[in-house]
Amino acid sequence: MMEAPQYVAARVQRALAEDSRTHELGIRVDVRGDQMFLRGQVSGEEHRQRLAAVAQEVAPNLKVHNEIKVVEVTRPGEDEHLD
Amino acid sequence: MTELRIAAVGDVHLGEDVRGHYRQRLEGIGERADVLLLAGDLTRHGTAEEGRLVAQEFRDLPVPVVAVLGNHDYHSDAQDEIAAELRDHGITVLDDDGTVLEINGRTLGIVGGKGFGGGFAGKCASEFGEREIKSFVRHTRTIAESWQLALKEIEADRKVVLSHYSPIKETLEGEPLEIYPFLGSYLLAEAVDSVGADLILHGHAHKGSEKGMTPGGIRVRNVALPVLGRAYGVYCLNGG
Repeated sequence: MMEAPQYVAARVQRALAEDSRTHELGIRVDVRGDQMFLRGQVSGEEHRQRLAAVAQEVAPNLKVHNEIKVVEVTRPGEDEHLD
Repeated sequence: MTELRIAAVGDVHLGEDVRGHYRQRLEGIGERADVLLLAGDLTRHGTAEEGRLVAQEFRDLPVPVVAVLGNHDYHSDAQDEIAAELRDHGITVLDDDGTVLEINGRTLGIVGGKGFGGGFAGKCASEFGEREIKSFVRHTRTIAESWQLALKEIEADRKVVLSHYSPIKETLEGEPLEIYPFLGSYLLAEAVDSVGADLILHGHAHKGSEKGMTPGGIRVRNVALPVLGRAYGVYCLNGG
């Protein structure tokens, strides 16, 4: 019997949080048919790629779409004056 | 009138692959701010090696740096080593206590620590039932009590609370409602409201919102890096 996609997504999300290579809590995982979509923001490109690799290991039969963004650290903006 | 310019950021999650990147964005901070506050989750895996990397990234800045740790920094049970590493590099680390800085003849009191979860008034866990639930909520309560005491004891012209977890729901907007109890606790806000402070800064909620306020009217800012979308926020308080 095919496993419900919700359980697959939950297992991937848990692996991303608990796997010592990733430890990333804020990634949204959606499974649609044989596709898996990863969304969220992380601090570096290597980390972003590791997340997709771990997700692929947990669900080897799904095609992974890595839509995770790397947070761009832009220049500080305007001050806020709290009167 | 002297303004106290407080730069703040949380959730920088530094790793070897981004070594030195954040440091570049700190250039010129001495002209923009009087102090830099770090709202936890400085590392990804909470290892001592990452702690060293964080210390190197934030060492020897032209402004004092005050930090709290976050849940990621606790993951490898190396929180004490990480804190020691930061302190060895001149960074003050708060652990449910406070410190006072003198800035341009005014004093800024900073109180805080990691904080913890439990949820928000009316929709939260309480110290009832299984031992595990009781110890979860008790951890938050103990922290809130320490902050309340530290705020009472500290004497300063202005007071800021620095946390990793959120004291209010408003700055979590954007996060799934179901995980709010893991993102913060109203007990933290209640403790601060009971004594008073000028500003509360926190991180942890990457998908949350920047601005909110406590039921007592204290301004709250979520300074998690993905929320800010810039290297750090600068919040100016009238120094009195």
